[in-house]
Amino acid sequence: MGQLGALYAIWLREVKRALRDRGQLVGGLSRPILWVILLGIGLNPYFRGEVYGEARFVVPYTYLQFIFPAVIVLNILYTSVQSAVSVIWDREFGFLREILVSPMPRSLILFGKVLGGATVAMVHGSLVLALARFADVSLVWGDVLYGLWLMFLLSFAMTCFGVIIANHIRSFEGFGVFSNAVILPLYFTSSSVFPLDPALTRAQALVVYPEWLVFLVQINPLTYAVDALRGTFIHFHQFPPMLGPIVIATMAVGFFIVALFNFRRS
Amino acid sequence: MHGVDSMRPAAGDISDTIVRVDGLSKRYGRTVALDGVSLAIRPNELFALLGPNGAGKTTLIHILCTILAPDSGTVTLAGFDVVRQPRRARQNLGVVFQEPSVDDRLTVFENLNFHGLVYQVPAARRRQRIDELLALVELENWRHALVRSLSAGMKRRVEIARALIHDSAVLILDEPTSGLDAQSRERIWAYLMRLRQERALTIIVTTHYIEEVEGCDRICIIDRGRILAIDTPASLKAAHGRELIRVIPDDAATTDAIRTIYPAAISGSDDTIVIEADGDAVAEAFLKKFGGRVRRLSIDSPSLESVFLSLTGRELRDQPAGKRERTYAFGRRGGEHTK
Repeated sequence: MGQLGALYAIWLREVKRALRDRGQLVGGLSRPILWVILLGIGLNPYFRGEVYGEARFVVPYTYLQFIFPAVIVLNILYTSVQSAVSVIWDREFGFLREILVSPMPRSLILFGKVLGGATVAMVHGSLVLALARFADVSLVWGDVLYGLWLMFLLSFAMTCFGVIIANHIRSFEGFGVFSNAVILPLYFTSSSVFPLDPALTRAQALVVYPEWLVFLVQINPLTYAVDALRGTFIHFHQFPPMLGPIVIATMAVGFFIVALFNFRRS
Repeated sequence: MHGVDSMRPAAGDISDTIVRVDGLSKRYGRTVALDGVSLAIRPNELFALLGPNGAGKTTLIHILCTILAPDSGTVTLAGFDVVRQPRRARQNLGVVFQEPSVDDRLTVFENLNFHGLVYQVPAARRRQRIDELLALVELENWRHALVRSLSAGMKRRVEIARALIHDSAVLILDEPTSGLDAQSRERIWAYLMRLRQERALTIIVTTHYIEEVEGCDRICIIDRGRILAIDTPASLKAAHGRELIRVIPDDAATTDAIRTIYPAAISGSDDTIVIEADGDAVAEAFLKKFGGRVRRLSIDSPSLESVFLSLTGRELRDQPAGKRERTYAFGRRGGEHTK
């Protein structure tokens, strides 16, 4: 009881609010279907990298399998950043005050909110797993458990990221535009929809892709998050296997600290 | 873990003051919101802060609630300094903010239970308090209704119930009745009065409805960040109350004539002119001179309104909606990303 009860209350509120939000649920379901079934199946035949008869980098997986883990990340990204809307909502509509005049420490309030948002985002991420059959991805219990753990950490990190954005946005209208302007570019430059072969030298990579794109993909931390999930679900890594989990954990801790700093000040 | 009871100081610590404010100042940029405010509130008192919008009431309340830091001065609440021991002070505090702060998407019960959990009220006690308080504010039948389906007055009642779940020693209500219809306003005051009979509770309430503060123990009149008077309603009326002559002149010429003779006259709402009458002679003289040239005339006996007028030189009146009200309106219309 005590502080744990208070933490539970804040977590439960976030989860309940999300469950009652039909729009968010519909988005969480339709997004993976759109990406996996339509985009995935549509582009599947064009994926093998044979150009002019000369085999370049060949990914030993179908396109469906290749984007499947990335769609999980996309779903997590949307839901996490969306859950930060509740931070703005609470601030504008007074509920934040109700929490701020309570005897709970600020850090615990934020932790509860982020845990709640992360739970919802993880659940949305795992909705994608239901499409595994269509994507020809075989799920093994061990992989799923480890994957869920990675997904939770990533959800936590991204919810903190959303809170940081929310703290710098003063209105609801601004947040919609801003979140879209952040989510999609981050997603597209995370090597989610096209592979970037690390086995190639930099010179070789630059033959295939322009330099700025290679640069963006490499500095985008989500690239490594996608890579970690890809390693877990289809056992394909483009980068050293340990890099992904390390980047995800670092983001979770780092973003939480920044979010806490922002939250205390506001 | 600290239970609620262990956080409550012994009655001896409080002695005869539960809230003490000393030399409190706060400014926003160049605007002075509070200018050296000092006051002491006794346990179990029903204390009203009365002043027009922008007088500094809400700033004072926010400092009391520990969500705003003062520039200078100190505030102790139930013996705890709100700046140095904010969490202890909060444990003794129940707040109903000016803007609604219930969660629309939770039910009435969920909102109350959330509050109980956050204030670490044990489960059995929590259930009991929720039952009692829902009965008090007559919302038992709405227990499992989503708050968004409730009227503004009912939401207010939920908030009052919520502020009392953790057995707070001090209940602060910032404009609890603003924006409500007359019937809801009356009900809310009835609940507050009943609460005071049932248990020991200090209530601090702000309002700009002057007629509401008649039943309070003491009234603090505040304007432009300064305290103008603190006393019981009866003493305030005796000390500052004047008879007020309210007239609506027939034409502009009469208006000018009245203004020349009574330069201190104040413009009220519509075309009304309000003249302070110090003694019966003033009213008589006025009637003799202008009796036939006014459309409407009334003489108010000393009231809190006349007290306010003579202290501030202004009438209490509502002001247009600010930025926050517009944001609310946007939310109510179901603005994008708000629900």
